[in-house]
Amino acid sequence: MRIILSTFKNSLIEAWTNRRSFWLQVSIMLANDLVWVLFWILFFERVSTVRGWDRSRVLLLFAILTTVAGISLGLLANARKIGQLSAGGELDAALALPIHPLAFLLVRRVDTGLLGDLFFGPILFVLAGEPTLERTAIFIFGSLCGAAVLVGFLVAIGALTLFIGGTGEQADLGFQTILILASYPVDVFGGATKLLLFTSVPAAFISGLPTRLVDDWQWTTAAALLTAALVFASLGVRLFNLGLHRYSSGARWTRA
Amino acid sequence: MTRTPYWAAFTDGIRRTMAAPAELAVRIGFFAVILVVFSSLWRAATQANGGVIQGYGYRELLWYVIAAEGCVIATKPRLIEEIGDDIGNGDIAIDMLRPVSVVSFRMAAEMGEAVVRLVCALSLGAVFGLLSVSAPPSLEGLLAALPAALLAVGCNLTMQYSFAAAAFWVEDAKSTWFLYQKLIFLLGGMLLPLELLPESLAGIARLLPFWTTAYVPARLLSGHAEWQLLIVQLGWLIVLVAAALAAFRAGEKRLVVTGG
Repeated sequence: MRIILSTFKNSLIEAWTNRRSFWLQVSIMLANDLVWVLFWILFFERVSTVRGWDRSRVLLLFAILTTVAGISLGLLANARKIGQLSAGGELDAALALPIHPLAFLLVRRVDTGLLGDLFFGPILFVLAGEPTLERTAIFIFGSLCGAAVLVGFLVAIGALTLFIGGTGEQADLGFQTILILASYPVDVFGGATKLLLFTSVPAAFISGLPTRLVDDWQWTTAAALLTAALVFASLGVRLFNLGLHRYSSGARWTRA
Repeated sequence: MTRTPYWAAFTDGIRRTMAAPAELAVRIGFFAVILVVFSSLWRAATQANGGVIQGYGYRELLWYVIAAEGCVIATKPRLIEEIGDDIGNGDIAIDMLRPVSVVSFRMAAEMGEAVVRLVCALSLGAVFGLLSVSAPPSLEGLLAALPAALLAVGCNLTMQYSFAAAAFWVEDAKSTWFLYQKLIFLLGGMLLPLELLPESLAGIARLLPFWTTAYVPARLLSGHAEWQLLIVQLGWLIVLVAAALAAFRAGEKRLVVTGG
C-alpha cells in the first residue's frame, strides 16, 4: 500500500511540475465541459422535458459523469491505456515490482487535462445539483461506484488485447462508446440499447443510476449500483491477471 | 501518364486509410454509436414536443444527424494537434524540402483519407436511416447534399490547417484544437440545427465559416433543397484555402528548427 501511495504521489507531483501547462490544460477541459452545459441549456430551451428528464436533472447527470471521468481518466489515467501498453509489450517495468502490476499501472500516470473534470463535476453539483448533506453524500457514493465501474470496464476491454491481439482498437471503441452513452439520460434509450447499458457497456451505472439515487434514494438501486461496481472491478482484475499469462515482453523498459 | 504530386498525395491518402481497416472500423463503429445515441435522443425529444421541433420532425432530424456527424467524423479528430506537434518539433521542415506547397500537399493527403471515411460513414448512415425511418425527405435535397458533404470536408480540413498554423507563433496548439472542436459542435450545427439556437447566436453562426462543415450538408439532407448553400460553401472554401496558404507561408518564414 505504501508503494502505491508513493507512486500516486509522484504521479501527482509530475503533473503539477509544469504549472503553466497544468492550468492551461485544466482550463481547456473546464471550457470543454461548459460547452456541453451550454448544449443542454439550449436543448431544454426548445424541449421542456424528455421522458422525465429536465435541465436540472441532466446537469446533475453531467456533474456525476465529469466527476467519474475525473477520477477514472484523470487520476487513474492508465485505465484506458491497458490495451495499448499490453500490445506494445510495455508492462515489463510494472511486472518487476513487488506489488500487483495493475495497481501500479493505475496510479502511475495522472492526466492533467482530465483533472479539469474533477474540478468541474463537484462545482456543477454545488451550483445546479441542489446540494444538501444527504444529496452530497449520495453524490460522492454514486461517483465512486461509477468510477469503479468505468475503471473495471476499461481495464477489462484493454486486457482483451492480451487474448485477441491487435493494438487495442476494441478498447478505444469501448472507451468512446461508454462515455458517449453515459453522457445522455438513460431513459431516452429503449429496447436492446437499454439492455446494453446495463450489461456489456455498463454506461447506466456510471451516470444514470447515480443520478437517480441522488434524486430518489432507494436501497435496492444503491445495492444494484454497488454490486455493479464490485462485479466490473473484479472482472477487470480477473481478465488482466488471466491475460498476463499470455503477455509477451516488447523488451522495452518504459515508464508505463 | 505522370501524376501531379498533389494527386499522388490524394491517392496515397486513400490507400493509407484502406490499409488500416481496424482504425477505420473503430471510427465507423463510433459513428454507429453516435447514430444510436442521437436517434434515441431526437425520437424522445420530438415525441415530447408534439412531433416537430422548429420545423424538424424525427425523420428530418435523423437525416440531419447522419449528414452532420458523418461529415465531421470523416476528418481526423485531432488533426490540429498533430499539425501543431509537427510544427512544434520541427518535423514539418522535412516536408519543406519537397518542391511543392507543404500545406497543399498535406491537405491533398488528408482529403484522400477523409474521402474514404466519408463514404463509409455515409453508407452506414444511409442504411441506418432507411431502416430507422425511410428515405431522405427530398430527392433534390439528397442530390445537393452529396457535393455539399465533400465541400464540408474540404472546408473542415482547410479551416483546421488555418487554425493549426497558430503553432508557428504559439507553443501549445492543443488549445486551438479544443477551441475549434467546440466551435464546430455549436456554431457548426453539429450537435443542434442552427434553427434550434437562439436567434442572435444563430445569426453569428451564419456569419462564420464553421456552419459549412456540418450544418450545410445536414440541412440539405434533411429535406431543405437550398442550393444557394453550396455557393456559400464554395465561397468559404476559396477563402479558407487562401487563409491556410497565407498562414503557412508566413509561418514557414519564421520557423526555426534545432538539431537534425
